[in-house]
Amino acid sequence: MSASAAGAEPERWWEADPADLQHEAQDLGDPLEPAVGPEELTAFPAARSIRRYTVAVARQRSGAGVGELLGDVYYAVIMIAIGFGLALGVAGQLTSTAAPVAAAGTGASLPAVVAVGLVALAGVVLTLAGRLGPVGLGGAEATWWLGLPVERRGLVRPASRRIPLVAAAAGALVAGILDGGLLDDAGIGHVLRIAAAAALVCAGVVLLAGLAQSWRGNRLAVVVGDVIVAVSPVIAVLAVVGGWQMDGLPDAPLPVLLVGAVVVLLLAVALDRRLGSIQGRSLRESGSVAAQAAGALASMDSRELGRVLTDRVAKQRRRRSWRMRLVRGPGSAIVAADLVVLVRSPRHLVQVVVAALLPALVVTTPQLAGTLGVLVAIVGGGYVAMLATGEGARRAEMAPVLDRLLPLGAEQVRRLRLIVPGVVMLGWAVVAFGTIGLWRGDLALWLVLGVLTTPVWAGGALRTAYRPAPDWGGNLVSTPMGALPTGVAAVLARGPDVVVLGMVPAIIALVIGSVPPAVLTAQLLVSVIAARVGSSASTKTLMERLTDASAAPTAPAGGALR
Amino acid sequence: MSKPARESASTPSGRPARSRPSAKRPPVVRAVDLRVGYAGAPVCAPVSFSLPAGKIMALVGPNGAGKSTVLRAVLGLLEPLSGTVQVLGRAVDERAVAYRAQVASVLDDDAWFPALTVSEHLYLTARGHGVADAEEEVDELLEEFGLADHAHALPTALSSGQRRRLLLAAGLVRPRSLLVLDEPEQRLDVAMRGHLADRLNAEKVAGGSVLLATHDPQLLAAVADRAVLVGDTSGTLSVDDAVEALQPGVL
Repeated sequence: MSASAAGAEPERWWEADPADLQHEAQDLGDPLEPAVGPEELTAFPAARSIRRYTVAVARQRSGAGVGELLGDVYYAVIMIAIGFGLALGVAGQLTSTAAPVAAAGTGASLPAVVAVGLVALAGVVLTLAGRLGPVGLGGAEATWWLGLPVERRGLVRPASRRIPLVAAAAGALVAGILDGGLLDDAGIGHVLRIAAAAALVCAGVVLLAGLAQSWRGNRLAVVVGDVIVAVSPVIAVLAVVGGWQMDGLPDAPLPVLLVGAVVVLLLAVALDRRLGSIQGRSLRESGSVAAQAAGALASMDSRELGRVLTDRVAKQRRRRSWRMRLVRGPGSAIVAADLVVLVRSPRHLVQVVVAALLPALVVTTPQLAGTLGVLVAIVGGGYVAMLATGEGARRAEMAPVLDRLLPLGAEQVRRLRLIVPGVVMLGWAVVAFGTIGLWRGDLALWLVLGVLTTPVWAGGALRTAYRPAPDWGGNLVSTPMGALPTGVAAVLARGPDVVVLGMVPAIIALVIGSVPPAVLTAQLLVSVIAARVGSSASTKTLMERLTDASAAPTAPAGGALR
Repeated sequence: MSKPARESASTPSGRPARSRPSAKRPPVVRAVDLRVGYAGAPVCAPVSFSLPAGKIMALVGPNGAGKSTVLRAVLGLLEPLSGTVQVLGRAVDERAVAYRAQVASVLDDDAWFPALTVSEHLYLTARGHGVADAEEEVDELLEEFGLADHAHALPTALSSGQRRRLLLAAGLVRPRSLLVLDEPEQRLDVAMRGHLADRLNAEKVAGGSVLLATHDPQLLAAVADRAVLVGDTSGTLSVDDAVEALQPGVL
């Protein structure tokens, strides 16, 4: 057909002819003259006025004035300052009281380990920036703003500044606490300069992620960030093996900071100029992820947070379907499904490996090789590994309909779901407790202890995965952090409670530095209980169950319970 | 909703069409071997069609056939796997101000500014598109879509059908050359569906073009000039054939 032929309408107007594309691409009418709609039009408004209108109406309706806003800012600053001071104090106290058991002459120095940790922090910031956008507009802003014919850069500008600023603040806090609280005193000036350098690096990293988003989407930032995080433990191992010694974190002189600030400023300007180039679909997707992540944080739903940060940015690709030849029934189907979920999540496998290497890093770092360091490495590292193994159970909790398709009871399903976390944590325990055994001596006993802790981790993984979300529809209590539902602490404690209580015998062994037979016996008993509690289908808290038990009617003397 | 359907010879705003004759303009939408999908996997057979000014084309097909995905590609919300799609003679680029000024869409979005009322959402859209007399346009559409009594309500207080009407009103309160609708009949009562059909017919008389996905044979028969079958096989259909295809058990 020839749509451009003047005069009569073509007979078969609905057919598209590729040959006409080039010709008709040059046959443009006035692109700014819409065919229908209101007749009298003015110039398009500035993006800023759109933003201001939306914000002004919202503020007017909320009844909050500038005073309340300043009050909130003041409150936030004070809370951050207090938190920073507390963290510094605790870190300093710990380093002064928990003296290393054996200051080995080999291994990496603590500043070297901290330096590697800061590299990992940059990786975390980069991958999070990629997962959250870093530039995005979600919800109503995406629906009602992005379709307007106003300069998109002006609409997106505030959103583009948010995450770099948050990343800078977080980087400064973490680096400041590590340098000021954990390492030898190098003076407040040194701490401030390190914090400023970390802030610039984190802000710069996020801005780079934003630039990448404007060209190729946010996948690049996620991959590079993940690689940095994954490589960090390797660097740490190399540092330990190579005996990397540092007296402290290298100082960041003022001229270096100034150059860094200029670079960050230039990156910010470059990103600002590229904001109009970001595709609307990228802005919508990023905004949606950020909004859901914020919602998950606000409602303290860690499962949702994990799902948002992984699923929504996972590379969409078809996978080769497993034929599940080993599945012989509903039980093996559950185990196979959990295994597939774990194997298809390389991030979680890396998480387990990194957590297994943590004790080795601690015992080979003279300043850390003490009771406290080993405790943190075993309990903290084990908890991080445990969270990775519960992925299958977490997904099952989010979509319980799949489990219900199988002819299995809830308790039975959960007992089966102990298997994959148990097997993976067995591997973790062998490496982690084997390291402690090599460090302390009595390798066999430490290995036995590690193996006995496996049910605790598996139970904890399940209890964490199946914990209910806080009930925001119920009573709320006013707290310094805002209104929170009653019982939120009990909900958040589901999972960690089993780990902490179940690890008591192992913790005792770590504190006393040996593994008496009584500890092994106690660990065996506690582990059985922990696995039982972890695989229980009851959603009630421990306190609720105790309350129910005390409120239950007692049997009348000489009669049957009615 | 109490307002009667407009005269078919007038524009939706009651004014004469200001566009040039359709034969002198390039097709408003032209898709050639357009293949759409996710993760590199197409969801339907490639589609080719051409939609000139002043025509209404409907995408028909069963659930999951890919109708909404094709619409998203036309709107620039999804990158085609292959093929080309042009809107107003140019490759789709929703970043261009000219594109956003010409193309209105009503998808199944259900996102609202929590503090903005029904009328304020419409004012935002109208003023954002440079409508000089936004008050008059908004009042007219609120009345037409039966939302006048809810003008000062928050959208979250509306029923799902009323929120659908609000989205339709937002698509019509602004100037446009192309109106893209994803199953606009959803959640509307019978009377409002009839009014929607009148509205769309007035749109094309005024020189506007409409591309819509629908499952409603009555709406299809009332407004469409042509249909595109989307699914495992694709092709253009006459309206009669498309209505037949939408009967139970055919697709």
